[in-house]
Parts: sequence; C-alpha cells; structure tokens
Amino acid sequence: MHTISRRAFLKTAGVATGAAALTASPAVAAALEPGALETMPSGQLPHEPIVAIIRNADLGEVTVLSGRTEKTYTDKMLVKRLLKAARLNHHPAGEKGVA
Amino acid sequence: MSSHREAPEISKDPVADNADVYAFVSPDNPDTVTIISNFVPLQGPAGGPNFFEFGDDVLYSIYIDNDSDAEPEIEYQFQFNSTLQNPNTFLYNTGQVTSLDSPNWNKRQFYSVTRIDAGSGHGNGGNQGGPAFPNGASHATVLGTNLACPPCNIGPRSTPDYEANLGAAAVHTLASGETVFCGQRNDPFYVDLGSIFDLGDLRPVQNFHLISTPAAPGVDGTKALNIHTIAIQVPITMLTRDGSKPSNVSSATAVLGIWSGASRRKVRVMNDGGNGSVGSGPWVQVSRLGNPLFNEVIVPLGKKDEWNGENPVGDAEYLPNVQHPELAGLLPVLYPGVFPSLAAVTAPRADLVAILLTGIPSGIVPGFQNYTGPTYADMLRLNVAVPPAASPNPLGLVAGDPAGFPNGRRVADDIVTIEVRAIAGLTYTLINPSYALDGAVNLLTDGTGPGSGRYLSRFPYVGTPHDGYDTPSI
Repeated sequence: MHTISRRAFLKTAGVATGAAALTASPAVAAALEPGALETMPSGQLPHEPIVAIIRNADLGEVTVLSGRTEKTYTDKMLVKRLLKAARLNHHPAGEKGVA
Repeated sequence: MSSHREAPEISKDPVADNADVYAFVSPDNPDTVTIISNFVPLQGPAGGPNFFEFGDDVLYSIYIDNDSDAEPEIEYQFQFNSTLQNPNTFLYNTGQVTSLDSPNWNKRQFYSVTRIDAGSGHGNGGNQGGPAFPNGASHATVLGTNLACPPCNIGPRSTPDYEANLGAAAVHTLASGETVFCGQRNDPFYVDLGSIFDLGDLRPVQNFHLISTPAAPGVDGTKALNIHTIAIQVPITMLTRDGSKPSNVSSATAVLGIWSGASRRKVRVMNDGGNGSVGSGPWVQVSRLGNPLFNEVIVPLGKKDEWNGENPVGDAEYLPNVQHPELAGLLPVLYPGVFPSLAAVTAPRADLVAILLTGIPSGIVPGFQNYTGPTYADMLRLNVAVPPAASPNPLGLVAGDPAGFPNGRRVADDIVTIEVRAIAGLTYTLINPSYALDGAVNLLTDGTGPGSGRYLSRFPYVGTPHDGYDTPSI
C-alpha cells in the first residue's frame, strides 16, 4: 500500500493558495487516505469544514470554501488529485494512493 | 400567501421562509418606524413536542435603503442560539413557565442583534449575507446579545397568562435606541387560502366564476395559525439619510425602501452520529420579501427560487411580469363578461410598476409620493413624513388613507383586496383617467378581514399567539 503524507501531497499539488486552504482541512486529508493524517498540523484546525468544489475539471477550476469565504482557483494538479481521491472512495480502503 | 411557501425551494425550509414584511410609522410612538419580518409560516399551535423556533443556522436580515438607490445603507441582522436545560427529558417544559428565566422551560432560544451601516469606512464587517453592500466599507455594531425569545404558547397549564408573563417580557429595549422582539405570534396576515388557489376563486363573488357556485362569505385560512416574528422599532432619525425626522411628504429624504431576507451558509455538512451539522462558506440568500405577493403572484414558478436569491436592485428582470401580470389576464377568463375593460388593456401597467417597483411619483396621488427613483426594485416604500392615521382604513392608500399600503404596510392592511383590485384595474385609472373601470372591481374581495384580538395596540403590534390547548386542530 502506498501512502502519502499530507505535506507530500501539498508539495506535489504545488500551489501556494490552494495548499493554504487545504493545509488545515481534516476532511480533505481523510478523504485522501485515512492513514495519512499528519500528527503535527501546521496550523490550528478550523472549527468548520473546508470544502473544495471542482467547477471545471478540464480547466482545473476548483472553488474552496473556508469560513465565510469562497474563492475559485485554477490548479489542474490539485483538481487531478482531488478527482483521484474521489475515485478512491469507490475502491476498498488503502488499495491505491493518490500520488 | 402573502409569501407563505411561495417558492418551490423555500417551501421546504420553513425556518428561513420569509412570509411577510411590514413597515409603518409607529402609531403610539410616531417618532419611530416599526419593521416586522415574519418567518416559519402556517404553524399549527399544537405542534409539540418540538415547538416552533427560528433557525440557529439562518441569518435573518432587515434592509433599509435611505438614498433611493435600491441598495441597503442599513442592515439589521438577527442570529439565534438554542439551549437545552435538560437533555434527559422529552419535554419542552417540565412544569409551568411563568417567566423567561423559568427553570421549567427546557428548550430556549436567544438572539443577537447587529446593525450594519454601509460606507462609514470602518472595515467590512457587515459584508455578509444576502445582498452585499456596495463595494465600499461598512461598519458592524453588535447592539444586543443573549436576548431572550419567549416560549411558544403551549396552553393554559404550561404558559399561563402568556402575554403578561412571557410575550411582553420578551420586548427588549436596546441601549442604542432600538426596541426588539423575536418570537411566536398570531399570524397577522389574513387570506382565504382555500379559495384563492382553487382557480382564483373569491367566495363572495364566486357566483360570477367560470365554474360558478353560490356566493359565500370568505374563510380566513390563517385565522388559527401562528408565525415567528422579528420586530424592531427604530427612531426615524436613525434611519434617514441625513439623520432628520422629515415632515415634508414631498421630500426624497422621507422615503425609505425596506425589505428583508434570510440566508444560509453555502454548504451544510452533516456531523456523524446524528450530532447536528456545521456550515461552510459565505452566507447565501435563500428568501427575501418586500412587497406582499410579489414573488407569489408576479414572478413565474420557474423563476421564484432565483428571485429569492437575488437583490432588489436587479429586479428590472421582472419588469415585464409587472407590466403584464398573469393575473390580469386570468381574471377576464375566470370571471367571463365581468372585466371587459381589463380584458382590453394591452398597454404596460405603469400603475403597478409604480406601486411595486419604483414608488409612486409626486403628482399621481394628491399630497403623496413614495418614489425612490427609476431603479426597478421590489421594496416596501415608506414615506415617514406621513403621520399615522387616527382611524386606519385597511384598504390604505386606495381608500384615501396614505398611512397604509402601499405606503409601507401595516399589520392589519387588507393586502389581498388591495392587490386584487389594483391588478383588476383600480389603480390603472390613476395613470389613465379615461379608462372605464369595470364595475365589479370595487366588489372584489376574498371576504376576509382583520378580526378582533389579532393585533396589539403597542409594540410589537402582532397579537398573542394561539395556544395549542385551545387551538388543538386547524
């Protein structure tokens, strides 16, 4: 089983803005791989969930909702990895990684 | 009706469903304006054990435009928080509730009030929920927190002497000058729901209907129902653009545009284990209301949800629906031979545009105007220089009482009769004096009226809610 740390995931995703929004997102991290949760979060976890909505996969448009804000980013790599993580939901846990 | 369950989506979300808005110069305190916005419509008073309440996850807003641009300069926000004294009982109350701090009252609700002023250059704290302020700065001031709502009116054993013990006690005077009340009330809006949605039937004149039956008295469909009221009384000087209390009816400063709405967070995430939900993202408006019946009767079904999410400043989209209202075309069909003049009208209804979208300019009704400029926007328009009527006429302006609808709206105004007659051509004569009004127009009514005991003569003016014991079925 290949696992990937959240830090590695963010490094691979490679976009500062998108990464900043996802850094404190337990929901997204858990969706990627339950066993990959980092034990030392880089910041205080938010009280509310952070939600990412893929608007247009072909264009790499992803909207991130955090607190009372909403912003759309263009990040094809991030979208690709989110889609891959979503596909993992339909496979037995741990069968595949997202890298 | 008037906006109870008026759109497909909001009909499934009662706690955010804005049913009616009222705005009037307070009859017993004419230096103030009272604004009332009602939610959670069509409550059966016996609806326990989980009695009705506001949504803790809903942002309730009242908006005021004081410079005739159809954008809010002032917003009052109300946010609620429920508490449970004892989670180990199924009971809403464990004994008599005779005060707002009674230990017998298990499920309570409290609220905060925040005022947002646009353009005062103090940051952007109010740029949330519903229509965002124009791109300038705004300033948020929390006016009150932990303000108690009254319980629902359960019955004489649980909530004895309700108004004195609980209703009146829940009127809070804020240090900033406003007075507020939030809680259950007797629904002030009266209408024969059962007949109107049966192919536009009006029982008193149904002998003229296409599917005729003998004329009959109206039946008030909301007579035994409750609603949840947000009411605020504000000194006029805290609402006008220049801080004055206008006395000149013709002054633009005297006219306020008023509407309200409800917003939800964009995303709702259900917690595991049935442990409620949390929100994420910005506030998104899911309900709004200005003029009664606008979304209900003017806006087509396929646009109603969209309208609820939009702001008044964008209402030009609905101008054709006001100029050529569907109901004006239906009346001559449903009542054959009764409305020949109305059937012949093909010109845009400039009278309805004035009433609903721009306000009535000077020169149309002698001594009166509530014009807010050329921007088409559905707002109540209140000319605060018009003093309260000594003897209010429920038919308001069309009956010569300029203190009533469509100059704002009072709790007992007969909205159904006024609007049905207006659409049938009554107000068309104001802009087309040669128009031959159909004789039946002044007979049109759904046959309902305000009735006794439905209102209070003091703030919040809407009456004591029906109790569940004495109103066991509706």
